[in-house]
Amino acid sequence: MSSTAGSEQLPLGDRVRAEVNRTIARSIKGLDFVISSDPDVGLTPKDIIYERGTLRLYHYHPMADEVYRVPVLLVMATTNRSYVFDLAPGQSMVEYLLREGFDVFVIDWEKPGPEERHLDLDDYTFDFIPTCIRRVAEHSGEPDVSLIGYCMGGVLSLIYAAGHTDGPLKNLVCLTTPVNWHEMGLMRRWTDPNHFDVDRIVDTLGVVPTEFILAGFTMLRPAQRTASRIRAWDNMWNDAYVRSYRSFDRWSNETIPLAGAYFRTTMRDLMWGNKLHTGELRVAGRSIDLANITVPVMHAIAEHDHIVPLPASKPLLERVGSTDKNEVVLKGGHVSLIAGPSAVRRMWPAVSNWLAERST
Amino acid sequence: MSKQDASNDPLDSLRKLVDDWEKRIDGVANKVMGTDGFSQAMNQTQKLGLRMQQGFQDAMAAHLKNINMPSRGDVTRLAESVQALNQRMARMELLLEDVLRNTGAGTPTARSGPPRTRQPPSQRKGEPT
Repeated sequence: MSSTAGSEQLPLGDRVRAEVNRTIARSIKGLDFVISSDPDVGLTPKDIIYERGTLRLYHYHPMADEVYRVPVLLVMATTNRSYVFDLAPGQSMVEYLLREGFDVFVIDWEKPGPEERHLDLDDYTFDFIPTCIRRVAEHSGEPDVSLIGYCMGGVLSLIYAAGHTDGPLKNLVCLTTPVNWHEMGLMRRWTDPNHFDVDRIVDTLGVVPTEFILAGFTMLRPAQRTASRIRAWDNMWNDAYVRSYRSFDRWSNETIPLAGAYFRTTMRDLMWGNKLHTGELRVAGRSIDLANITVPVMHAIAEHDHIVPLPASKPLLERVGSTDKNEVVLKGGHVSLIAGPSAVRRMWPAVSNWLAERST
Repeated sequence: MSKQDASNDPLDSLRKLVDDWEKRIDGVANKVMGTDGFSQAMNQTQKLGLRMQQGFQDAMAAHLKNINMPSRGDVTRLAESVQALNQRMARMELLLEDVLRNTGAGTPTARSGPPRTRQPPSQRKGEPT
């Protein structure tokens, strides 16, 4: 919760006056908060250059007069919408990368329909991502591409990279990506194979619904939502705070259902088998060993990540076979890593600087 | 501002209270939800819900069959056929592009957009970094 910055230097009488003014502003803006619709998000100009089923590929309009040769493709986690990369002007990783001179493409996921319940890990990593990379190559005219994967998008990027060692990948950036799934804390506990019947869930539901996924995230921090609302009320006078709060709230509520087969494989092979970590994972008939990844790799992880705890993401660099590899541990949590104040100050510049040196 | 001044703001105490409350609730909840018993109870409840849902789905499908209407499963199977066709089309599109490229007929045209010649700050001579 932000404190009353600026008013702290004032005498007590003035501080009380300021607080009264804020209370009035809270009442007026509170009404607006209740009756107005969610803020617009994902406003940076873009084109959809490819779409198929659950898959969307965006190309953002360049903002620099001269761009780096190698295009950048961001891969969103399969549970959420990609506009967290582009929440609002000034709070947008996409906008930042565009201004820094990158040609930016983003993979977004729509809700999979019941007919897409059979989509599996191999569809995402051996069909969707390679197809998008091909489209990016055609669109940019460049033979190679840098991948940036967030959370489960990072896992998909890792599997792609390990399964396409002869592919056109130039650099790989992972953002808070789980590798050692046995360190996934409560998520691992709740999905203990002794109690958690993944087959029954998938066979009954087909597509694992939003409420199921959202409940899992919410239960990790049950008091967070209420506390955030109280903080939003406290900062109701502050338009920037309220806008940011509402954008994040909208994003977290727009959780995406998961294709059943994909959910089943994630549970069996990653959560229970921990095969990404042990190197035993097989996808589309190929061995997925992170040691086979030799392109430059950067991993940005959050110190206080409650969804992907540090011990789950930390082993990534030691598992990949690359010699050019870099890890950045930042303060903040799972979401603030990519769109919070720490992201603006540290993560985006760190990723941009690292990629810039490797994108010519 | 000294710490004593800060403590004069009544809302600061309220803010601290909210922070402490959140930490305490999350801490207690995580302890409880981290037990084997909780995990077992949660999954039992879930199984019960799924069983009920399956029963409802089966009853609804039987009812729709009786009145000669397609069930959700029938519609999904139809959509799956369309999706399979879509996928086949996408694969054919890629193959066709490969053929055109290999025969020279699909040579890409000159691309618009800014030149792709940007250099990293460390290599830009004469420019402030």
